[in-house]
Amino acid sequence: MHKQKGRGRFAALCVLPATILFIIFMVIPTLQVFWMSMFKWGGISSNKTFVGLSNFKTLMADENFLRSFQNTVLLIVVVTVITFAFALVFAGILTREKIKGQNFFRIIFYIPNILSVVVIAAIFNAIYDPNQGLLNSILSLFTNVKEDPILWLGDQKLVIYSLAGALVWQAIGYYMVMYMASMSAVPESLYESAGLEGAGRMRQFFQITIPLIWTNIRTTLTFFIISNINLSFLFVKAMTNGKPDGQSEVFLSYMYGQAYTNSSYGYGMAIGVVVFIFSFALAAIVNAVTKREPLEY
Amino acid sequence: MKKALSLGLAAAFVLTAFAGCKAPADSTSNGGSTQKKVLKVAALESAYGADMWREIAKAFEAANEGVTVDLTISKTLEDEISPQMKAGNYPDVVHLGVGRDAALTETMIKEDGLRDLSNMLNMTVPGESKTVKEKIIPGFLDTSITNPYSDGKTYLAPMFYGPCGLFYDANLLKTKGWDLPKTWDEMWELGEKAKAEGIALFTYPTTGYFDAFMYALMYEVGGVDFFNKVTRYEEGIWDTAEAQQVLDIVAKLASYTEKTTVSNANDSNYLKNQQLILDNKAIFMPNGTWVVGEMADVPRVEGFEWGFTALPAVGDGDQYSYTFFEQMWSPKEAQNPELADKFMAFLYSDEAAKIFAEKGVGGAVQPITTASSLVNDDLKLFYSIYDNGAKAAMGAFVATEPVEGVDIAKSVFGTVDSIVSGDKTVEQWKADIIKASDALRGALK
Amino acid sequence: MNKRKGFSGETLYKIFIYVVLIIFVVSIVVPVGWAFLASVKEKSEFYGNPWALPNGFYWQNFRDAFEKANMGAYFFNSVIVTAMALAMLLVTALPAAYALSRFKFRGRSVLRTAFMGGLFINVNYIVVPIFLMLVDGDKLLKQWIEPGSPLGNLLNISSGFLLNNRFFLALIYAATALPFTIYLLSSYFQTLPKDFEEAAYVDGSSNFRTMVQIIFPMAKPSIITVILFNFLSFWNEYIIAMTLMSGDNRTLPVGLMNLMKAQNAAAEYGQLYAGLVIVMLPTLVLYMCVQKKLTQGMTVGGIKG
Repeated sequence: MHKQKGRGRFAALCVLPATILFIIFMVIPTLQVFWMSMFKWGGISSNKTFVGLSNFKTLMADENFLRSFQNTVLLIVVVTVITFAFALVFAGILTREKIKGQNFFRIIFYIPNILSVVVIAAIFNAIYDPNQGLLNSILSLFTNVKEDPILWLGDQKLVIYSLAGALVWQAIGYYMVMYMASMSAVPESLYESAGLEGAGRMRQFFQITIPLIWTNIRTTLTFFIISNINLSFLFVKAMTNGKPDGQSEVFLSYMYGQAYTNSSYGYGMAIGVVVFIFSFALAAIVNAVTKREPLEY
Repeated sequence: MKKALSLGLAAAFVLTAFAGCKAPADSTSNGGSTQKKVLKVAALESAYGADMWREIAKAFEAANEGVTVDLTISKTLEDEISPQMKAGNYPDVVHLGVGRDAALTETMIKEDGLRDLSNMLNMTVPGESKTVKEKIIPGFLDTSITNPYSDGKTYLAPMFYGPCGLFYDANLLKTKGWDLPKTWDEMWELGEKAKAEGIALFTYPTTGYFDAFMYALMYEVGGVDFFNKVTRYEEGIWDTAEAQQVLDIVAKLASYTEKTTVSNANDSNYLKNQQLILDNKAIFMPNGTWVVGEMADVPRVEGFEWGFTALPAVGDGDQYSYTFFEQMWSPKEAQNPELADKFMAFLYSDEAAKIFAEKGVGGAVQPITTASSLVNDDLKLFYSIYDNGAKAAMGAFVATEPVEGVDIAKSVFGTVDSIVSGDKTVEQWKADIIKASDALRGALK
Repeated sequence: MNKRKGFSGETLYKIFIYVVLIIFVVSIVVPVGWAFLASVKEKSEFYGNPWALPNGFYWQNFRDAFEKANMGAYFFNSVIVTAMALAMLLVTALPAAYALSRFKFRGRSVLRTAFMGGLFINVNYIVVPIFLMLVDGDKLLKQWIEPGSPLGNLLNISSGFLLNNRFFLALIYAATALPFTIYLLSSYFQTLPKDFEEAAYVDGSSNFRTMVQIIFPMAKPSIITVILFNFLSFWNEYIIAMTLMSGDNRTLPVGLMNLMKAQNAAAEYGQLYAGLVIVMLPTLVLYMCVQKKLTQGMTVGGIKG
């Protein structure tokens, strides 16, 4: 009995420092975001006025905000689908097939993930340059882009996909390497027996590989979507800053613009609240949709 | 055991780092109880470079015994001082104009954070006989930029001025035998001729550069009266024929714009657009005199020679050139207001103007009556624009209370990107502007 | 006949795979290598074809970046902040994750849910409230401690103690990395069999000693993963650093950002790409050293922050 009490005290001591830090630097600031979203405040002076939910009302009618919402959702969908499809297929190939230099590929594919977003932005600015960029230089071999260059970052319909390209580039290798690790844990005997039954590569992939690492896919998917909101902001900030004409604005970049450059701090925080709720809701939805009976092997 | 040791070491490391890490950080703070007075000056490092500010600080220190100027110079000054100001550490003098992307100066105006500079303007320029007000070129203290609240008081002091207009390669026009267009009709003719040779008529660094351009255009189309109505968000002003003409001219110019321009019209890549002029891929770009220094080291086509003109006239009206100037202000919370005033007054002395003109890259010109004599020959070309018949345009959209989600500069100038790319029509553009203008009217101070 | 046809299909499939893989490799190696090459180009070369090879090695870019653009000082800051943040993170997260996964106590499930919820908090929008909190803290400190007093001078009260302080930047990094780290570590601790601890208790080992001497060494692979992931995110972070730090206390990515966004001033491409390499190189070197461990540890948590 005494021992039990000692254990409790020990556990409390263990969690205390982390809990304090967590409360001070994460919980309180988050509550602050909610609280500040109900004020009108420029950000520098001391005159704050309580305005209740009026910031949210303005938000619902703000076309620029709705566009940033759209862009965020579009980026989430496009980037997630492409990244996961490619990462899974490549990982499947690299683990299942006898490919020479497997390790080499794995090392290289992971590199984009360790680079700073600022570095990636600078690289992609050079790739997307309309006159001398890598992409248009390559395309000019096949088509007439010399005369009529593709404006990767200037075309309003294209810019968000160009950003998506950079996002996919930096994420894909990471997930590929991770799925390779989990796929290699799938016992070989399963594939052998499936092979005997005449199941081809595709069937093996969809009926053995995917179901067996489903739990892994599910967690990564949820977190990828959340971190995507964050990453898309970092890329926009470093690459286009919302240009041209606000077409590449996403959630958080619009929030920054309002809070800082438009002197509407409370309004910016209201956007923060929306992002927070949106992230939670999305995670819950993804979690519910992807629920399957876990398969054991 | 080994683990415990390493954890202990890690903890010890944290503690020592904690104790040690503040030491180098406080090089800028005054040691507390010294006799010396410290004046905190924050200045944007623009195309003129940082050296001239260091010289100015030295000169001011030499003239004022016991005063130290603590200088912060940065290309991204907002990132430096904005957190500090929120933390209650205000500089005494800030040289940072309106129209920057981070809009810190605009925020200070909206938030009533600026000190009235009337006292400073009435001071005698140190070592001279005239007051600051008398020395500043007439007109500079009557704009909606320097007097943002239209209450007759000056809150932002005008600094380095220069005409804005269209920059081009004079040699290109000469060799092709093309005349410099004096009216917009001639401009469109030139556009067609150039198109035939595969040269675009127009490019722009970013849409931010359309402020000077469109302000001057407003003066050309409707005069000062129309300009004032627009910049004070008067009801129905965007439904007038004048406003339509302004938008139509820009829209027509958009159709002559070099096709890769929009792609590079952002803060990271705008130099590539300016490069188009140096490579003779486009003829004109709106810009200011700093561009010469900005592009000084850049390769260019042979025989390149900077040319500069006011905007072409509308019909047989006047040509206008927007007078761009930077601004300096002092926050209400400044610790040393008297010393700040003295410093600011000093900047209008001949001594200071000389330092700016000589040490500034390309030469920074103060808006004082005696400055033109200090300018070097290259710059005379630009500053003589007003002597050659062009009229000066000044002013900007007036400050309002912040309105959530509404940004007039984005609506009016930022939309040009969409006009060029064809994603928006002039009608949509106009509708956007009217919406923003209506929203801001109610928030006028 | 049939067999031969199958064989050639197989070969085609293999070739196709290699081609795709190599395209992918090229798309990574070329841009990264290009950044390295650009960093030794002379000013005039930046206005020609950006994909041309440099004419020579122009090391002055690096000298300029270190001296003129102050990247040397920023580099030092980044090293200090990253190291401190990692140390603080481990000291707080390890015991917390251990207790949360191996002990039953009141409030455990609440705490676990709270830390899980923390995974959804985006640092980018709480950074400003954090900043304002530090500002208020500084104001309070100013009231308690006389700015001119010896203690006031020591803590640099007059221009702010909490703000613009590398220790607190590191502390905030550590705090914001807690949810992810605890999540990752506890999922690993959960997989460890109970026998080890029980044997240790029978031997009379205290809770603390058991944790430090038995459990932590066993968790070494996941601890290494945690260190590596967080190293990358601390080293590359720029939004918090940009908001909290100024002047000489900036970190590398913020310095790089400033080089990129110099409006209305002559662009220093050479310094920019040199800066790029200075930011990138440590992570690349570290990665090459530990890539095996890094990719091995990935199955542990399956997510990143």
